[in-house]
Amino acid sequence: MQRFCCVMVERHIQALVTDDPGAETPAAARERLKRHFPVGATRRMTTLGLMVGNALAELDPGQDDAIVYASAYAESRALESFLDSFPAPSPTLFQTSIHPSAVQQLMIGRQAAVRELMPLSGGPLFAFHALRAAILSPAPRVLLCGGEERGTWLLDHGLASERTFAFAVSLTQERAAGALGRVRLLRANGSGELGLAAWFDVLHRRTQFAELVAPGWRMEIEWL
Amino acid sequence: MADPAAPVRVAACGCITPFGDAAATHTALLRGECALRPVRILGREGGDAVPMALLPGRSLDETTPPEWVAAIRRLHGSIPDGDWGSPGRPVFVTGSNFGVGGLYALRRTGDASFASWSALPTCTERVRAELGWGPDVSIVSHACVSAHLGLLLATRVISERLADDALVLSFDFLSPFVAGGFHALKILNADFPAPYRVRDSGAIGLGDGAGFAVLSRGRGDWTLSCQSLHNEMYHFTSNRSDGSGFARCLEPVAAAARGRRVWFKGHGTGTLEAGQLEVGAAERAFPGAPIVGWKGSLGHTLGSCGIVELAIAIESVRAGRTPGTIGGAGRAMGHSVALESFENGSFDGVVCASNAFGGAHAAFLLCHG
Repeated sequence: MQRFCCVMVERHIQALVTDDPGAETPAAARERLKRHFPVGATRRMTTLGLMVGNALAELDPGQDDAIVYASAYAESRALESFLDSFPAPSPTLFQTSIHPSAVQQLMIGRQAAVRELMPLSGGPLFAFHALRAAILSPAPRVLLCGGEERGTWLLDHGLASERTFAFAVSLTQERAAGALGRVRLLRANGSGELGLAAWFDVLHRRTQFAELVAPGWRMEIEWL
Repeated sequence: MADPAAPVRVAACGCITPFGDAAATHTALLRGECALRPVRILGREGGDAVPMALLPGRSLDETTPPEWVAAIRRLHGSIPDGDWGSPGRPVFVTGSNFGVGGLYALRRTGDASFASWSALPTCTERVRAELGWGPDVSIVSHACVSAHLGLLLATRVISERLADDALVLSFDFLSPFVAGGFHALKILNADFPAPYRVRDSGAIGLGDGAGFAVLSRGRGDWTLSCQSLHNEMYHFTSNRSDGSGFARCLEPVAAAARGRRVWFKGHGTGTLEAGQLEVGAAERAFPGAPIVGWKGSLGHTLGSCGIVELAIAIESVRAGRTPGTIGGAGRAMGHSVALESFENGSFDGVVCASNAFGGAHAAFLLCHG
């Protein structure tokens, strides 16, 4: 398969926010992050909503931005609690458990419309899929955000993340002053994988990166 | 090799509903048939009976493997052969529930075997392996506009020449999880849905549904253009009361449809406020365009509805007749709501629209040729 061998797409990294709280409890995360939200707004927010919301808020999302949201398992704790609420299911937990809820918790709290929200899940190729979706958006600025929250009983079945983390990165077509770096996707021979947690580590540590991340695709991240 | 300058087209499209494939579903809708039946929200555990349209022989209770896997296999049989999931032929799997019925069964019974088809990445990986696809399978989940987003991503991948063809597969099959959730929100109740009808209280029905679309550069008889999105971010489960969210999404589609005679395939679940806002916005954006909605028969197929109803819209144009809005009785919410089927030979476009939690809106213009 050589048809697409010349393809290269590139975006500039204008800003990056990462949150790697380690073994912090949900209660401690709430205490740490609540000052970033209006008083009373955090009462029904999830841990993931607080963390992704805080990272995304730092980038000041506007209605002309596109938001790509990446989370394999999303609202694991709300999902667990909703399932535990049967046979009298909770309407609040139902609406909070939907996949894009973390972004919606922030944006609804702000009453901030946005044209494009692209919520994704994924597996071993998740970094490639999320970056490809972000790069394909025609919006001048794409806010690629994501994260996971550590599950409890779902984790025992391999159906939730072991780690809690969040990130938000601002990607633009044109390089502006203060750019942090650039990211490219290039056609390449060979195969590789890069899941979301591993990609988060690359971003969090600002690692120079040039590896295959999917069959036929290489990702390069160059920090300035 | 495809012409790199050729437009993105729908090369193939199909669906499965309780009536069967797209042709069988179209025929049943023309007859005014309703697939909804009273089903207890918790399956064998009981609960209130609410309108649901399950695939024939399927129960709301979970099995391992899930009963719906057979439906996915049947649908897969009508997808053109291709090296799906390879670098040049990516797949976009979309939905809102995936195997969430397995999570419900896992929690209620403690049987770990239910875990194997549940959760988004786990379920998608099992479907991928079952259908023999390669690894390039993206997962998109934005509640009931999920299918629209998959179509948009597939279009972009082809437009930007990262692929020649892309497959979008969308499915949602009902479970006590989703039935219980909508029942808790009180919009799924004992009443049957009457989309776009004036009545005292709103009600929706839920349905099993799955569909696919193969998008290709230059191949196919159908174009999807002006794929428009808007997210109100006003409330998790309601829209701005001025209808501006609907209008913002439809504006660019209306501009693209100028000079065409279109009909409007709406979302129309049976909720009152959203139905009224949608009809109002559609009548303003597309004056004179007949408005139809089919969820009064099929139920709301959730994340798959955008692609299931696309397949039925295509079948309607092929057959020359569009099914009317099914469900209930009484006055329509607007003069453009088509309660009866109509000949569509004089139309040259279909606007297909869907809505979702968070005030999410999606729409596109479907044209033949």
